[in-house]
Amino acid sequence: MKRWNSVPAALVMSVSLIALTACEEPKVDAAVFESLQQCKDEPGMLADQCEANFNEARNQHAAVAPKYTSQEDCQADFGDGRCEQAPYKTTSGGSVFMPLMMGYMMGSMLGGRSSMISQPLYRPASSPNNFRTADNRSAGSTTGRTRVASSATSRPSFKSSTIRRGGFGSSGRRFGSGAT
Amino acid sequence: MQRIPVTERPDLARAAAEHGLEYTAGEGITGWDERAYYQFMARQVDEDIEAAAEEIEGLCFQIVDRALGNEEVLRRLGIAEPFWDYMAESWRNNEKNLYGRMDLSYDGNGPAKLLEYNADTPTALYETAVFQWEWLEHAIEAGLAPKDSDQFNDVHESIVKALPQLGVGALSHFACNPDIEDDTETLKYLEECAGEAELKTCFLAMSDIGIDDQGRFTDLDHRVITTLIKLYPWEWIMNEDFGLHVPRSGVQFIEPPWKAILSNKGMLALLWGMFEGHPNLLPAFFEDDPAAASFADAGTYVRKPMLSRQGANIEIVRGGKTLHHTDGLYGDDAHIIQGFQPLPEFGGHYPLVGCWLVASKAVGLCIREDKTLVTGRNARIVPHVIAD
Repeated sequence: MKRWNSVPAALVMSVSLIALTACEEPKVDAAVFESLQQCKDEPGMLADQCEANFNEARNQHAAVAPKYTSQEDCQADFGDGRCEQAPYKTTSGGSVFMPLMMGYMMGSMLGGRSSMISQPLYRPASSPNNFRTADNRSAGSTTGRTRVASSATSRPSFKSSTIRRGGFGSSGRRFGSGAT
Repeated sequence: MQRIPVTERPDLARAAAEHGLEYTAGEGITGWDERAYYQFMARQVDEDIEAAAEEIEGLCFQIVDRALGNEEVLRRLGIAEPFWDYMAESWRNNEKNLYGRMDLSYDGNGPAKLLEYNADTPTALYETAVFQWEWLEHAIEAGLAPKDSDQFNDVHESIVKALPQLGVGALSHFACNPDIEDDTETLKYLEECAGEAELKTCFLAMSDIGIDDQGRFTDLDHRVITTLIKLYPWEWIMNEDFGLHVPRSGVQFIEPPWKAILSNKGMLALLWGMFEGHPNLLPAFFEDDPAAASFADAGTYVRKPMLSRQGANIEIVRGGKTLHHTDGLYGDDAHIIQGFQPLPEFGGHYPLVGCWLVASKAVGLCIREDKTLVTGRNARIVPHVIAD
Protein backbone atom coordinates (compact mmCIF):
# COMPACT_ATOMS: atom_id res chain seq x y z
CA MET A 1 0.00 0.00 0.00
CA LYS A 2 1.12 3.46 -0.72
CA ARG A 3 1.64 4.44 2.86
CA TRP A 4 4.67 2.18 3.14
CA ASN A 5 6.44 3.49 0.05
CA SER A 6 8.64 5.86 1.95
CA VAL A 7 9.49 3.41 4.70
CA PRO A 8 12.69 1.38 4.48
CA ALA A 9 12.15 -2.36 4.09
CA ALA A 10 13.83 -3.16 7.39
CA LEU A 11 11.31 -1.02 9.18
CA VAL A 12 8.35 -2.69 7.52
CA MET A 13 9.69 -6.01 8.74
CA SER A 14 10.00 -4.91 12.31
CA VAL A 15 6.48 -3.56 12.22
CA SER A 16 5.00 -6.67 10.68
CA LEU A 17 6.52 -8.80 13.42
CA ILE A 18 4.38 -7.04 15.95
CA ALA A 19 1.31 -6.23 13.96
CA LEU A 20 0.51 -9.85 13.39
CA THR A 21 -3.12 -9.10 12.89
CA ALA A 22 -3.80 -11.18 9.84
CA CYS A 23 -1.10 -13.79 10.30
CA GLU A 24 -0.95 -16.93 12.35
CA GLU A 25 -0.03 -16.89 15.98
CA PRO A 26 3.71 -16.78 16.70
CA LYS A 27 5.35 -19.98 17.87
CA VAL A 28 7.77 -20.27 20.74
CA ASP A 29 10.37 -22.83 21.74
CA ALA A 30 9.14 -25.51 24.09
CA ALA A 31 9.89 -29.07 25.13
CA VAL A 32 7.21 -31.72 25.36
CA PHE A 33 7.62 -35.16 26.94
CA GLU A 34 5.38 -38.15 27.54
CA SER A 35 7.16 -39.07 30.72
CA LEU A 36 9.90 -38.04 33.08
CA GLN A 37 12.10 -40.83 31.69
CA GLN A 38 11.70 -39.58 28.13
CA CYS A 39 12.93 -36.18 29.24
CA LYS A 40 15.95 -37.65 31.01
CA ASP A 41 16.80 -39.64 27.87
CA GLU A 42 16.74 -36.53 25.69
CA PRO A 43 20.29 -35.42 24.84
CA GLY A 44 21.15 -32.11 26.45
CA MET A 45 18.47 -32.27 29.14
CA LEU A 46 19.54 -32.31 32.75
CA ALA A 47 17.87 -34.90 34.96
CA ASP A 48 17.31 -32.34 37.72
CA GLN A 49 15.65 -29.97 35.32
CA CYS A 50 13.43 -32.74 33.94
CA GLU A 51 12.39 -33.71 37.42
CA ALA A 52 11.69 -30.19 38.66
CA ASN A 53 9.56 -29.45 35.62
CA PHE A 54 7.76 -32.76 35.76
CA ASN A 55 6.90 -32.14 39.40
CA GLU A 56 5.65 -28.64 38.65
CA ALA A 57 3.35 -30.02 35.95
CA ARG A 58 2.28 -33.01 38.07
CA ASN A 59 1.41 -30.72 40.97
CA GLN A 60 -0.91 -28.68 38.81
CA HIS A 61 -2.63 -31.61 37.17
CA ALA A 62 -5.49 -32.08 39.64
CA ALA A 63 -6.22 -28.37 39.79
CA VAL A 64 -6.16 -27.50 36.10
CA ALA A 65 -7.39 -30.67 34.36
CA PRO A 66 -10.88 -30.53 32.77
CA LYS A 67 -13.46 -31.90 35.23
CA TYR A 68 -16.44 -34.17 34.66
CA THR A 69 -19.17 -35.48 36.91
CA SER A 70 -19.30 -38.86 35.13
CA GLN A 71 -16.62 -41.29 34.06
CA GLU A 72 -18.44 -41.80 30.72
CA ASP A 73 -18.39 -38.12 29.81
CA CYS A 74 -14.71 -37.92 30.61
CA GLN A 75 -13.92 -41.05 28.58
CA ALA A 76 -15.94 -39.72 25.67
CA ASP A 77 -13.51 -36.83 25.46
CA PHE A 78 -10.29 -38.57 26.43
CA GLY A 79 -10.75 -42.26 25.64
CA ASP A 80 -11.50 -45.48 27.51
CA GLY A 81 -9.33 -46.07 30.52
CA ARG A 82 -7.83 -42.59 30.26
CA CYS A 83 -9.71 -40.92 33.10
CA GLU A 84 -9.24 -40.99 36.83
CA GLN A 85 -11.08 -39.78 39.87
CA ALA A 86 -10.19 -36.25 40.89
CA PRO A 87 -9.38 -35.50 44.55
CA TYR A 88 -12.56 -33.42 44.78
CA LYS A 89 -16.24 -34.02 45.42
CA THR A 90 -19.16 -32.13 43.94
CA THR A 91 -21.12 -29.98 46.39
CA SER A 92 -23.62 -32.85 46.68
CA GLY A 93 -20.83 -35.32 47.46
CA GLY A 94 -20.57 -36.94 44.02
CA SER A 95 -17.33 -38.03 42.39
CA VAL A 96 -15.40 -35.84 39.99
CA PHE A 97 -13.43 -37.24 37.05
CA MET A 98 -10.56 -35.88 35.04
CA PRO A 99 -8.30 -37.15 32.24
CA LEU A 100 -4.98 -38.81 33.06
CA MET A 101 -1.96 -36.65 32.60
CA MET A 102 -0.32 -37.98 29.42
CA GLY A 103 2.73 -35.76 29.27
CA TYR A 104 4.06 -32.40 30.17
CA MET A 105 5.42 -29.25 28.63
CA MET A 106 8.55 -27.87 30.22
CA GLY A 107 8.69 -24.31 31.40
CA SER A 108 12.22 -23.27 32.25
CA MET A 109 14.85 -24.58 29.91
CA LEU A 110 17.85 -23.17 28.21
CA GLY A 111 16.76 -20.47 25.80
CA GLY A 112 13.11 -20.69 26.83
CA ARG A 113 11.12 -17.93 28.46
CA SER A 114 11.91 -17.83 32.13
CA SER A 115 8.41 -16.83 33.17
CA MET A 116 6.87 -19.78 31.32
CA ILE A 117 5.61 -22.49 33.62
CA SER A 118 5.55 -26.25 33.22
CA GLN A 119 2.16 -27.75 32.66
CA PRO A 120 0.48 -31.12 32.25
CA LEU A 121 -0.69 -32.28 28.83
CA TYR A 122 -3.57 -34.49 27.78
CA ARG A 123 -4.49 -36.51 24.70
CA PRO A 124 -8.02 -36.08 23.34
CA ALA A 125 -9.89 -39.20 22.16
CA SER A 126 -10.60 -37.46 18.86
CA SER A 127 -6.90 -37.16 18.00
CA PRO A 128 -4.96 -39.40 20.36
CA ASN A 129 -1.59 -38.57 18.82
CA ASN A 130 -1.86 -34.93 19.75
CA PHE A 131 -1.26 -33.17 22.99
CA ARG A 132 -3.65 -30.56 24.38
CA THR A 133 -3.15 -28.30 27.35
CA ALA A 134 -5.62 -28.20 30.22
CA ASP A 135 -7.16 -25.18 28.49
CA ASN A 136 -7.61 -27.23 25.32
CA ARG A 137 -4.90 -25.55 23.31
CA SER A 138 -2.87 -27.64 20.91
CA ALA A 139 0.68 -28.49 21.94
CA GLY A 140 1.32 -30.48 18.76
CA SER A 141 2.26 -34.15 18.49
CA THR A 142 6.05 -33.86 18.60
CA THR A 143 7.95 -34.89 21.70
CA GLY A 144 11.34 -33.50 22.63
CA ARG A 145 12.31 -29.97 21.65
CA THR A 146 9.57 -28.43 19.58
CA ARG A 147 7.74 -25.22 18.85
CA VAL A 148 4.21 -24.55 19.97
CA ALA A 149 1.76 -21.66 19.58
CA SER A 150 2.60 -19.11 22.25
CA SER A 151 -0.95 -19.27 23.63
CA ALA A 152 -0.36 -22.94 24.51
CA THR A 153 2.38 -21.85 26.90
CA SER A 154 0.14 -19.62 29.00
CA ARG A 155 -0.65 -20.80 32.44
CA PRO A 156 -3.68 -23.09 32.46
CA SER A 157 -6.73 -21.79 34.30
CA PHE A 158 -8.44 -23.35 37.27
CA LYS A 159 -10.58 -22.56 40.27
CA SER A 160 -8.19 -21.28 42.82
CA SER A 161 -8.30 -20.09 46.38
CA THR A 162 -7.58 -16.41 46.72
CA ILE A 163 -5.37 -15.61 49.69
CA ARG A 164 -5.36 -11.83 49.45
CA ARG A 165 -7.03 -8.97 47.56
CA GLY A 166 -6.46 -5.25 47.20
CA GLY A 167 -2.84 -5.28 46.07
CA PHE A 168 -3.79 -3.11 43.11
CA GLY A 169 -5.66 0.18 43.05
CA SER A 170 -3.71 2.46 45.37
CA SER A 171 -2.37 4.73 42.59
CA GLY A 172 -5.87 5.12 41.18
CA ARG A 173 -7.09 6.24 44.58
CA ARG A 174 -4.28 8.78 44.72
CA PHE A 175 -4.21 10.11 41.15
CA GLY A 176 -7.73 9.43 39.89
CA SER A 177 -7.93 8.75 36.20
CA GLY A 178 -5.34 6.58 34.54
CA ALA A 179 -6.35 7.91 31.16
CA THR A 180 -4.18 9.84 28.78
CA MET B 1 -8.02 22.15 7.52
CA GLN B 2 -10.88 24.42 8.45
CA ARG B 3 -13.02 24.89 11.53
CA ILE B 4 -16.65 25.16 10.51
CA PRO B 5 -19.20 26.35 13.09
CA VAL B 6 -22.54 24.54 12.86
CA THR B 7 -25.61 24.04 15.00
CA GLU B 8 -25.68 21.11 17.35
CA ARG B 9 -28.35 18.43 17.16
CA PRO B 10 -31.62 19.71 18.62
CA ASP B 11 -32.08 16.38 20.38
CA LEU B 12 -28.56 16.20 21.79
CA ALA B 13 -29.83 15.30 25.25
CA ARG B 14 -31.59 12.26 23.83
CA ALA B 15 -28.49 11.21 21.86
CA ALA B 16 -26.41 11.56 25.03
CA ALA B 17 -28.83 9.40 27.01
CA GLU B 18 -28.88 6.79 24.28
CA HIS B 19 -25.09 6.50 24.43
CA GLY B 20 -24.74 6.81 28.17
CA LEU B 21 -22.85 10.10 27.93
CA GLU B 22 -23.10 12.77 30.61
CA TYR B 23 -25.31 15.71 29.58
CA THR B 24 -25.87 18.99 31.39
CA ALA B 25 -28.49 21.46 30.18
CA GLY B 26 -26.82 24.59 28.87
CA GLU B 27 -23.40 22.91 28.72
CA GLY B 28 -24.07 19.92 26.51
CA ILE B 29 -22.22 16.62 26.65
CA THR B 30 -19.17 16.43 28.88
CA GLY B 31 -16.06 16.21 26.72
CA TRP B 32 -17.91 16.64 23.44
CA ASP B 33 -18.69 19.72 21.34
CA GLU B 34 -20.50 19.62 17.99
CA ARG B 35 -21.04 23.34 17.62
CA ALA B 36 -18.24 23.13 15.09
CA TYR B 37 -16.39 20.51 13.07
CA TYR B 38 -13.02 20.34 11.39
CA GLN B 39 -12.85 19.69 7.69
CA PHE B 40 -9.76 18.08 6.17
CA MET B 41 -8.78 17.29 2.63
CA ALA B 42 -8.22 13.60 1.92
CA ARG B 43 -4.57 14.25 1.19
CA GLN B 44 -4.06 15.86 4.57
CA VAL B 45 -5.44 12.85 6.41
CA ASP B 46 -3.83 10.19 4.21
CA GLU B 47 -0.38 11.66 3.98
CA ASP B 48 0.12 14.06 6.85
CA ILE B 49 -1.66 12.08 9.57
CA GLU B 50 -2.27 8.43 8.69
CA ALA B 51 1.04 7.76 6.99
CA ALA B 52 2.95 9.85 9.53
CA ALA B 53 1.41 8.02 12.49
CA GLU B 54 2.33 4.62 11.08
CA GLU B 55 5.81 5.79 10.29
CA ILE B 56 6.22 7.09 13.85
CA GLU B 57 4.95 3.74 15.15
CA GLY B 58 7.77 2.09 13.22
CA LEU B 59 10.29 4.44 14.81
CA CYS B 60 8.79 3.71 18.23
CA PHE B 61 9.34 0.00 17.76
CA GLN B 62 12.98 0.62 17.03
CA ILE B 63 13.15 2.62 20.25
CA VAL B 64 11.55 -0.19 22.25
CA ASP B 65 13.88 -2.73 20.72
CA ARG B 66 16.91 -0.70 21.69
CA ALA B 67 15.72 0.53 25.10
CA LEU B 68 14.90 -2.94 26.42
CA GLY B 69 18.51 -3.99 26.03
CA ASN B 70 19.93 -0.92 27.71
CA GLU B 71 19.98 -0.73 31.49
CA GLU B 72 20.94 2.93 31.53
CA VAL B 73 17.93 3.84 29.42
CA LEU B 74 15.56 1.70 31.50
CA ARG B 75 16.87 3.34 34.64
CA ARG B 76 16.43 6.76 33.11
CA LEU B 77 12.82 5.97 32.28
CA GLY B 78 12.33 5.12 35.93
CA ILE B 79 11.47 1.48 35.30
CA ALA B 80 12.32 -0.74 38.27
CA GLU B 81 14.84 -3.50 37.72
CA PRO B 82 12.53 -6.46 38.55
CA PHE B 83 10.61 -5.64 35.36
CA TRP B 84 13.47 -5.37 32.90
CA ASP B 85 13.59 -9.02 31.86
CA TYR B 86 9.84 -9.29 31.98
CA MET B 87 9.37 -6.39 29.59
CA ALA B 88 12.14 -7.59 27.30
CA GLU B 89 10.58 -11.03 27.16
CA SER B 90 7.18 -9.61 26.27
CA TRP B 91 8.83 -7.86 23.37
CA ARG B 92 10.85 -10.86 22.22
CA ASN B 93 7.71 -13.01 22.34
CA ASN B 94 5.85 -10.54 20.16
CA GLU B 95 3.16 -10.00 22.75
CA LYS B 96 0.61 -8.06 20.79
CA ASN B 97 -0.50 -4.50 21.30
CA LEU B 98 -4.09 -3.44 20.85
CA TYR B 99 -4.30 0.31 20.67
CA GLY B 100 -2.90 3.76 21.29
CA ARG B 101 -3.45 7.39 20.39
CA MET B 102 -0.77 9.69 19.04
CA ASP B 103 -1.30 13.36 19.79
CA LEU B 104 -0.08 15.57 16.98
CA SER B 105 0.31 19.27 16.44
CA TYR B 106 -1.02 19.85 12.94
CA ASP B 107 -2.47 22.90 11.22
CA GLY B 108 -3.19 21.47 7.78
CA ASN B 109 0.19 22.35 6.32
CA GLY B 110 3.54 20.68 6.60
CA PRO B 111 4.44 17.69 8.70
CA ALA B 112 2.43 16.87 11.82
CA LYS B 113 4.61 16.92 14.93
CA LEU B 114 4.35 14.26 17.59
CA LEU B 115 3.61 15.87 20.96
CA GLU B 116 3.14 12.59 22.79
CA TYR B 117 2.02 9.02 22.40
CA ASN B 118 -0.71 7.71 24.68
CA ALA B 119 0.35 4.16 24.10
CA ASP B 120 -0.89 2.47 27.25
CA THR B 121 -4.17 3.94 28.55
CA PRO B 122 -5.78 6.15 25.89
CA THR B 123 -9.39 7.24 26.34
CA ALA B 124 -11.95 9.16 24.23
CA LEU B 125 -12.28 5.92 22.32
CA TYR B 126 -16.05 5.57 22.33
CA GLU B 127 -16.61 9.20 21.39
CA THR B 128 -14.21 8.76 18.47
CA ALA B 129 -15.37 5.38 17.26
CA VAL B 130 -19.12 5.54 17.72
CA PHE B 131 -20.47 8.96 18.67
CA GLN B 132 -18.42 10.88 16.13
CA TRP B 133 -19.57 8.54 13.35
CA GLU B 134 -23.18 8.92 14.33
CA TRP B 135 -22.74 12.68 14.27
CA LEU B 136 -21.43 12.48 10.68
CA GLU B 137 -24.52 10.61 9.53
CA HIS B 138 -26.65 13.30 11.07
CA ALA B 139 -24.48 16.13 9.72
CA ILE B 140 -24.75 14.88 6.15
CA GLU B 141 -28.47 14.32 6.44
CA ALA B 142 -29.04 17.76 7.98
CA GLY B 143 -26.87 19.42 5.33
CA LEU B 144 -24.29 20.62 7.87
CA ALA B 145 -21.46 18.86 6.06
CA PRO B 146 -20.95 18.28 2.32
CA LYS B 147 -22.99 15.36 0.94
CA ASP B 148 -19.91 13.33 0.00
CA SER B 149 -18.20 13.87 3.35
CA ASP B 150 -16.19 11.03 4.78
CA GLN B 151 -14.51 10.48 8.12
CA PHE B 152 -11.23 8.80 9.04
CA ASN B 153 -12.82 6.30 11.35
CA ASP B 154 -12.37 2.54 11.14
CA VAL B 155 -11.79 2.39 14.86
CA HIS B 156 -14.71 0.18 15.87
CA GLU B 157 -14.30 -2.41 13.12
CA SER B 158 -10.55 -2.52 13.69
CA ILE B 159 -10.89 -3.21 17.41
CA VAL B 160 -13.50 -5.91 16.90
CA LYS B 161 -11.20 -7.52 14.37
CA ALA B 162 -8.01 -7.15 16.42
CA LEU B 163 -9.30 -8.42 19.79
CA PRO B 164 -9.71 -12.09 18.87
CA GLN B 165 -6.28 -12.06 17.24
CA LEU B 166 -4.46 -11.15 20.42
CA GLY B 167 -4.23 -14.80 21.47
CA VAL B 168 -6.39 -14.26 24.57
CA GLY B 169 -7.45 -17.13 26.81
CA ALA B 170 -10.90 -18.64 27.24
CA LEU B 171 -11.94 -15.74 29.46
CA SER B 172 -10.67 -12.16 29.23
CA HIS B 173 -10.79 -9.94 32.28
CA PHE B 174 -11.21 -6.17 31.98
CA ALA B 175 -10.03 -4.00 34.87
CA CYS B 176 -9.75 -0.31 35.73
CA ASN B 177 -10.43 2.12 38.56
CA PRO B 178 -14.26 2.01 38.58
CA ASP B 179 -14.52 5.34 40.41
CA ILE B 180 -13.49 7.18 37.26
CA GLU B 181 -16.31 7.38 34.75
CA ASP B 182 -14.14 8.18 31.75
CA ASP B 183 -11.90 5.16 32.32
CA THR B 184 -14.83 2.85 33.02
CA GLU B 185 -16.75 3.95 29.92
CA THR B 186 -13.76 3.39 27.68
CA LEU B 187 -13.11 -0.05 29.11
CA LYS B 188 -16.79 -1.02 28.99
CA TYR B 189 -16.75 -0.10 25.34
CA LEU B 190 -13.74 -2.35 24.75
CA GLU B 191 -15.58 -5.11 26.57
CA GLU B 192 -18.55 -4.60 24.25
CA CYS B 193 -16.24 -4.91 21.27
CA ALA B 194 -14.89 -8.16 22.74
CA GLY B 195 -18.47 -9.39 23.12
CA GLU B 196 -19.11 -8.53 19.50
CA ALA B 197 -16.02 -10.59 18.64
CA GLU B 198 -17.60 -13.44 20.66
CA LEU B 199 -15.00 -13.44 23.42
CA LYS B 200 -15.98 -14.30 26.96
CA THR B 201 -15.39 -11.36 29.29
CA CYS B 202 -15.49 -10.38 32.95
CA PHE B 203 -15.25 -6.79 34.23
CA LEU B 204 -13.73 -6.01 37.62
CA ALA B 205 -12.04 -3.27 39.62
CA MET B 206 -8.24 -3.31 39.79
CA SER B 207 -8.66 -3.30 43.57
CA ASP B 208 -10.78 -6.48 43.42
CA ILE B 209 -8.00 -8.51 41.87
CA GLY B 210 -6.79 -11.20 44.25
CA ILE B 211 -3.76 -13.43 44.41
CA ASP B 212 -3.58 -17.14 45.21
CA ASP B 213 -0.93 -19.15 47.02
CA GLN B 214 0.92 -19.75 43.77
CA GLY B 215 1.16 -16.12 42.75
CA ARG B 216 -1.65 -16.18 40.22
CA PHE B 217 -4.14 -13.34 40.01
CA THR B 218 -7.77 -14.23 40.60
CA ASP B 219 -11.16 -12.60 40.12
CA LEU B 220 -14.04 -12.39 42.60
CA ASP B 221 -15.10 -15.95 41.69
CA HIS B 222 -11.56 -17.24 42.36
CA ARG B 223 -11.10 -17.84 38.67
CA VAL B 224 -7.50 -17.47 37.64
CA ILE B 225 -6.94 -14.45 35.41
CA THR B 226 -5.14 -15.37 32.21
CA THR B 227 -5.77 -12.27 30.09
CA LEU B 228 -6.12 -8.82 31.61
CA ILE B 229 -7.21 -5.92 29.45
CA LYS B 230 -6.46 -3.05 31.76
CA LEU B 231 -7.10 0.64 31.67
CA TYR B 232 -4.56 1.24 34.37
CA PRO B 233 -1.07 2.56 33.67
CA TRP B 234 1.86 0.18 33.73
CA GLU B 235 3.88 2.42 36.04
CA TRP B 236 1.10 2.20 38.62
CA ILE B 237 0.85 -1.58 38.31
CA MET B 238 4.60 -1.94 38.77
CA ASN B 239 4.66 0.28 41.85
CA GLU B 240 1.74 -1.25 43.73
CA ASP B 241 1.74 -4.08 46.28
CA PHE B 242 1.01 -6.83 43.77
CA GLY B 243 3.40 -5.40 41.21
CA LEU B 244 6.28 -7.72 41.94
CA HIS B 245 4.00 -10.72 41.38
CA VAL B 246 3.23 -9.60 37.84
CA PRO B 247 6.22 -11.15 36.02
CA ARG B 248 5.43 -14.68 37.24
CA SER B 249 1.65 -14.35 37.29
CA GLY B 250 1.23 -15.94 33.87
CA VAL B 251 -1.16 -13.15 32.87
CA GLN B 252 -1.26 -11.84 29.32
CA PHE B 253 -1.62 -8.09 29.68
CA ILE B 254 -3.19 -5.79 27.11
CA GLU B 255 -1.40 -3.46 26.53
CA PRO B 256 1.69 -5.67 26.87
CA PRO B 257 4.50 -4.76 29.30
CA TRP B 258 6.81 -3.39 26.58
CA LYS B 259 4.31 -0.57 26.03
CA ALA B 260 5.59 0.94 29.29
CA ILE B 261 8.50 2.27 27.23
CA LEU B 262 6.20 4.12 24.84
CA SER B 263 3.77 5.59 27.34
CA ASN B 264 6.70 7.26 29.09
CA LYS B 265 7.49 10.72 27.72
CA GLY B 266 11.16 9.91 28.07
CA MET B 267 10.47 8.00 24.87
CA LEU B 268 10.28 11.35 23.06
CA ALA B 269 13.88 12.04 24.05
CA LEU B 270 14.90 8.57 22.90
CA LEU B 271 13.14 9.14 19.57
CA TRP B 272 14.93 12.42 19.02
CA GLY B 273 18.24 10.86 20.06
CA MET B 274 17.89 8.14 17.45
CA PHE B 275 16.05 9.99 14.68
CA GLU B 276 17.12 13.60 15.18
CA GLY B 277 15.70 15.82 12.46
CA HIS B 278 12.85 13.49 11.47
CA PRO B 279 10.10 15.75 10.10
CA ASN B 280 7.43 14.40 12.48
CA LEU B 281 9.53 14.72 15.62
CA LEU B 282 10.27 17.65 17.89
CA PRO B 283 13.60 18.04 19.68
CA ALA B 284 13.35 16.38 23.09
CA PHE B 285 15.83 15.67 25.87
CA PHE B 286 15.89 14.17 29.33
CA GLU B 287 16.04 17.14 31.66
CA ASP B 288 19.22 15.89 33.33
CA ASP B 289 20.95 15.60 29.97
CA PRO B 290 23.40 18.49 29.34
CA ALA B 291 21.84 18.84 25.89
CA ALA B 292 18.55 19.78 27.60
CA ALA B 293 20.22 22.72 29.32
CA SER B 294 21.74 24.06 26.15
CA PHE B 295 18.45 23.61 24.29
CA ALA B 296 16.54 25.42 27.06
CA ASP B 297 19.13 28.22 27.03
CA ALA B 298 17.59 29.43 23.80
CA GLY B 299 14.57 30.37 25.94
CA THR B 300 11.73 28.57 24.20
CA TYR B 301 10.73 25.04 25.17
CA VAL B 302 8.13 22.86 26.90
CA ARG B 303 8.81 21.06 30.16
CA LYS B 304 6.78 17.90 30.78
CA PRO B 305 6.83 15.20 33.44
CA MET B 306 7.82 11.82 32.02
CA LEU B 307 4.72 10.26 33.54
CA SER B 308 1.76 12.59 33.72
CA ARG B 309 -1.80 12.44 32.52
CA GLN B 310 -4.31 14.78 30.91
CA GLY B 311 -2.02 17.74 30.45
CA ALA B 312 -0.94 17.99 34.09
CA ASN B 313 2.22 19.80 35.22
CA ILE B 314 3.21 21.14 31.82
CA GLU B 315 5.11 24.39 31.45
CA ILE B 316 5.54 26.30 28.20
CA VAL B 317 8.41 28.78 28.15
CA ARG B 318 8.80 31.30 25.34
CA GLY B 319 11.48 33.94 25.13
CA GLY B 320 12.67 33.02 28.61
CA LYS B 321 9.25 33.60 30.19
CA THR B 322 6.56 31.15 31.27
CA LEU B 323 3.81 31.45 28.70
CA HIS B 324 1.53 28.84 30.22
CA HIS B 325 1.66 26.25 32.93
CA THR B 326 -0.72 23.67 34.33
CA ASP B 327 -0.97 22.26 37.85
CA GLY B 328 -1.19 18.66 38.84
CA LEU B 329 0.11 15.84 40.97
CA TYR B 330 3.10 14.91 38.85
CA GLY B 331 5.39 17.90 39.35
CA ASP B 332 7.98 16.12 41.50
CA ASP B 333 8.76 13.45 38.94
CA ALA B 334 11.49 13.41 36.31
CA HIS B 335 10.87 15.67 33.31
CA ILE B 336 11.76 16.06 29.69
CA ILE B 337 12.43 19.24 27.74
CA GLN B 338 10.69 19.35 24.36
CA GLY B 339 10.69 21.79 21.48
CA PHE B 340 7.67 24.12 21.41
CA GLN B 341 5.32 23.56 18.50
CA PRO B 342 2.23 25.63 19.34
CA LEU B 343 -1.12 24.10 18.49
CA PRO B 344 -2.87 26.01 15.71
CA GLU B 345 -5.49 28.49 16.84
CA PHE B 346 -8.96 28.79 15.33
CA GLY B 347 -10.76 31.71 16.97
CA GLY B 348 -9.63 30.94 20.50
CA HIS B 349 -9.79 27.17 20.05
CA TYR B 350 -6.67 25.03 20.02
CA PRO B 351 -7.25 21.68 18.28
CA LEU B 352 -5.03 18.71 19.07
CA VAL B 353 -5.12 16.01 16.41
CA GLY B 354 -5.27 12.52 17.90
CA CYS B 355 -4.57 9.62 15.58
CA TRP B 356 -5.79 6.22 16.78
CA LEU B 357 -3.74 3.13 16.08
CA VAL B 358 -5.21 -0.34 16.41
CA ALA B 359 -2.80 -3.25 16.06
CA SER B 360 -0.27 -0.63 14.91
CA LYS B 361 -2.40 0.53 12.00
CA ALA B 362 -3.66 4.11 11.89
CA VAL B 363 -7.44 3.79 11.85
CA GLY B 364 -9.08 6.98 13.00
CA LEU B 365 -8.99 10.56 14.10
CA CYS B 366 -10.24 12.52 17.06
CA ILE B 367 -9.78 16.24 17.48
CA ARG B 368 -9.74 17.53 21.03
CA GLU B 369 -10.11 21.26 21.60
CA ASP B 370 -9.14 23.30 24.59
CA LYS B 371 -9.07 27.04 25.14
CA THR B 372 -5.37 26.99 25.94
CA LEU B 373 -2.17 25.74 24.34
CA VAL B 374 -2.16 22.76 26.69
CA THR B 375 -4.92 20.23 26.12
CA GLY B 376 -6.19 19.35 29.58
CA ARG B 377 -9.01 17.53 31.27
CA ASN B 378 -11.58 20.13 30.13
CA ALA B 379 -10.83 19.53 26.46
CA ARG B 380 -13.78 18.56 24.28
CA ILE B 381 -13.86 16.34 21.27
CA VAL B 382 -14.96 18.12 18.10
CA PRO B 383 -15.97 15.90 15.16
CA HIS B 384 -14.23 15.98 11.81
CA VAL B 385 -15.06 15.31 8.19
CA ILE B 386 -13.00 14.66 5.10
CA ALA B 387 -14.16 16.50 2.00
CA ASP B 388 -12.15 17.83 -0.92
